[in-house]
Amino acid sequence: MAKRLLKYAFIALLLVPFGFLLMLSLGRGWAYPEVFPRQWTLENWHFVWGAQAGLGRSTLLSLAISLGIAAPVTLAGFWVSKHIAYSRRRRFWLVLAYLPYVLAPAVLAACLQAFFFRAELSGKVWGVVLAQLFITFPYGVIFFSGFWNEQMRAMEQLAATLGGRPRQAYARVLIPVGRGALMTCFFQIFLISWFEYGLTMLIGVGKVQTLTLKVFQYVGEANIFFAALTGCLLVLPPLVLLWLNKRYVFARAGAR
Amino acid sequence: MLLQAIDIAKHFGREEILRSASLELPQGEMLSILGRSGSGKTTLLKILAGLESADSGRVFLEGRDISGQPPHRRNIVYLYQEPLLFPHLNAFENVAFGLRLRRLPEGEIFQKVNRLLESLGLPEHAAKMPHQLSGGQRQRVAFGRALAVQPKVLLLDEPFGALDTETRASMQQLLKQIAGSFHITGLFVTHDLKEAILMGSRIGLMQEGRLKVYEDKQAFIADAATGVRQEIDFWSGL
Repeated sequence: MAKRLLKYAFIALLLVPFGFLLMLSLGRGWAYPEVFPRQWTLENWHFVWGAQAGLGRSTLLSLAISLGIAAPVTLAGFWVSKHIAYSRRRRFWLVLAYLPYVLAPAVLAACLQAFFFRAELSGKVWGVVLAQLFITFPYGVIFFSGFWNEQMRAMEQLAATLGGRPRQAYARVLIPVGRGALMTCFFQIFLISWFEYGLTMLIGVGKVQTLTLKVFQYVGEANIFFAALTGCLLVLPPLVLLWLNKRYVFARAGAR
Repeated sequence: MLLQAIDIAKHFGREEILRSASLELPQGEMLSILGRSGSGKTTLLKILAGLESADSGRVFLEGRDISGQPPHRRNIVYLYQEPLLFPHLNAFENVAFGLRLRRLPEGEIFQKVNRLLESLGLPEHAAKMPHQLSGGQRQRVAFGRALAVQPKVLLLDEPFGALDTETRASMQQLLKQIAGSFHITGLFVTHDLKEAILMGSRIGLMQEGRLKVYEDKQAFIADAATGVRQEIDFWSGL
């Protein structure tokens, strides 16, 4: 009984911030010391798709950037990390992959800014995508570096001696065996890109208005209701991904 | 001659792993190769399978030079010490793996796999996932998977090394039986003297990268370097 109570208390504790954000996004005229907002309305949510706020556009843009980065980086990280893991200079390449994390993303962005400006990528969506690759791609490589071991290598070789071409070994052995790791990596890279602020702000020079930038903008303007609504939108896709991960990755792992 | 390896040499860095290793394997013969850990047995098998490249020397299969051929074109299956069943496939699909790669008709796959599972004593385990099988059952599925593709040569790298004594003995019997009924041509690598004598119709001894293949078992027993005499003396003296 106590265990169950503790479990529900823990879940409630995790959900409080989200409930609070939702409440704020639906409220208006909330003055101290009132416990709840004076007015409840869906007006803020209707405003999401209005051209004026541009939140709908920011949501779609953020989704496009994050999905557009997470999918290819996950696959590229899987492939490249394999070659690194089996190479003689494994340590060297891995140290290189850690390098972008020596600096904070904003400092990295400041270092890259001049090059992006010259290449006319500043303030452009492609510029932000490219800049985010500087941190997400090494992450993908580092993430998968532990996945490749002698057993995976032996399985790949076995598939080859059974008649599998390298492409077939990927499709029928390596990718299915690595499915859980691939999903987790995709999820984590999506999150890194989704919540990225420093690089996006500096390389995008404020013109590439992702949802994360919008939250900071509303917080800066002290518009708590809009900031809350944007916050709700911001946590929604990661929650969906978390649910998908739990449903398809952890459930499968648990069944084994 | 089905398989022929001529003067195979291999270095890893400064270490010389194989020194002019040569062997000939006629159709239907099981050649045991006895050797200590690090003597170069595994490297030789991997070179024959195309998983490692030799520094020098040639490999011929049915008279064709296959030295430069990738492993998936050789039809030589390499079996590891671990069964290495694919964890996302059940026993049936593991056995069917190579057949699916060859895009055989579903009916043919069903028939072949069930026949193999039957001969390996596993028909009731077809739907089980690898983690639901015992060590011996896993190794049988691994054999089935290899036999399904009808390899020209089967390379067995200490396949019973991870099994307990009892299971090992029954697996040795099973392999001998299926090797006979499926007319398997193979190389059986082991560091166990008794196993080498039991499994091979001829025996080779690998020492420090040098391979000596004996004419027959008597010649192997007669050579002091194999340690058979010492073993006999030990047991006679008890």
